[in-house]
Amino acid sequence: MKLKDIISSLNLEARGKIDKSSADKLDKDITRGYVSDLLSDVMANSEEGDLWITLQTHPNIIAVASMKGLAGIVIINGRQPEEEMVRKAEEENIPILLSKLPAFELIGRLYKLGIVGLKGNA
Amino acid sequence: MKLIRIKELLKADVLCLEECLDNEIKIACGSDLMSDVLAFIKPNALLLTGLTNSQVVRTAEMAEVSAICFVRGKTPDTNTIELAKERKIPLLTTKYSMYECCGRLYQNGLPACGIPK
Amino acid sequence: MRDKKKDTSSFSSAEKIPRNKKGAAITKVQELVYELKVGDAMHKNMITASVDTSMRQLREILRSHRISGTPIMDGDKLVGIVSIEDFIKWLAEGGKDCSIREKMTKNVKTLYADEPLVHAVSKLEQMGFGRFPVLDRQSNKLVGVITKGDIIESLLRELEVDYHEEEIHRYRASHIFEDIIADKATLTFQYSVKAKDFSRAGEVSSALRKTLNRLGIHPNIVRRAAIASYEAEMNVVIYTDGGEIVMTVRPDKIQIDVKDSGPGIADIKKAFEPGYSTAPDWVRELGFGAGMGLCNIKKCSDETVLNSTVGKGTHLKVSINMNTAER
Repeated sequence: MKLKDIISSLNLEARGKIDKSSADKLDKDITRGYVSDLLSDVMANSEEGDLWITLQTHPNIIAVASMKGLAGIVIINGRQPEEEMVRKAEEENIPILLSKLPAFELIGRLYKLGIVGLKGNA
Repeated sequence: MKLIRIKELLKADVLCLEECLDNEIKIACGSDLMSDVLAFIKPNALLLTGLTNSQVVRTAEMAEVSAICFVRGKTPDTNTIELAKERKIPLLTTKYSMYECCGRLYQNGLPACGIPK
Repeated sequence: MRDKKKDTSSFSSAEKIPRNKKGAAITKVQELVYELKVGDAMHKNMITASVDTSMRQLREILRSHRISGTPIMDGDKLVGIVSIEDFIKWLAEGGKDCSIREKMTKNVKTLYADEPLVHAVSKLEQMGFGRFPVLDRQSNKLVGVITKGDIIESLLRELEVDYHEEEIHRYRASHIFEDIIADKATLTFQYSVKAKDFSRAGEVSSALRKTLNRLGIHPNIVRRAAIASYEAEMNVVIYTDGGEIVMTVRPDKIQIDVKDSGPGIADIKKAFEPGYSTAPDWVRELGFGAGMGLCNIKKCSDETVLNSTVGKGTHLKVSINMNTAER
């Protein structure tokens, strides 16, 4: 499922300017998600192309997402990102999406859309 | 949903209080931030987390969490397991990622807690 | 006197109650079998039979009273015991009527009324008998009979008494303010918080929570107080050089005062902003320091006052009103 379709089906709010390169990212197909609030965990265990769900709003999360090549970040529980983080996200071309839902609910809905947490049939 | 059903859905191992598998779990919460758990969780909940330090059990005690499941095959140290036994909080561990756990349980009808009105 | 001495020595090996093999902690029941006396558990209005009774008469006595054995008396002296085994043996031998004297067990094992119940438990276990006659140590006269059923019954009775006492205890604690006569009553609980001891952090809030439960405070109020206290305790552990938590409980409200001796908070307004945190990475990796602690505390309380001086310390005052249980 394309990221922009996920945004519209789950009522996510996109933050930051959308220019051409980030528009490309919204057209990207998403197949898997990863949820964690621990940066070290995401560094160690997320996979390229994962949609990252977290309630961290610390600017450091952009560096992690960029390094791991993640498809985007969904910030949950209605939390607002710091301005510095949005600016960094624009620089690094990482889509920042906001949801009012808690992790469990949001992931449940994503799962029903076919975004799973496992690679292949593992 | 009974804890035993959660154990089956997540192919989880029980770390302590096997006798509590019949307990009824009404809602679930997945988080690695204990303040988040304290802010949103309601009684009779399952807490899914990637953290394994003793503060997870303390948080569960304060927030009256019914059971904890550690994700990605993590297990806490024996002191933490002992603390959980003392506080009557069953502990499980599963190989699945937190994302996969949330998805599986949600798909099988376990609701989330802390959904804004 | 000779009998008495003999008796105590013969019991020394019986001191060991069959314990949990793992040597687990002494349970309430185990405590009780040491505390209670045989005389507390035995039944006193027991059926006895005279040594001159015939076996056939005895069969009627046992049947009508639905018992499986009885002490045999010669006058007021215990001379033997007849058990169901004796009876079966008699029947197997043809069941020819005769006096009890010929068929009873003469070497009677007895217990004294003042022995701890554990002696009865282990003797019943060791010898496989269903009952023991109980004698008064001074007079050596029969005063009762004890069976496994009597032991179970007495333990259950005691446990129930304990249960009731526990209930009364709780009741008392939970109505403490109604029981105290004063114009103003305040309970104060003081706890100290160690700095940087992450593994023990939360113990104070755990104790505080138990205390409030014990006082019978509404569960919703207890929950809010415990969460607020826990967040505050974590802050003291993580950021300061240690401090103390003082909880005062009044009929109308709970106040939690958290004080530390430094380093203090530079920007208090910012500290209350969700997500604002000065936590180092190690704290974040432990699941704290995401800038939600003070918001959580505020959310749980009816009044939050934070005073801080950099270099001196911080005083956080949290109040929860008792009438906000359904909030």
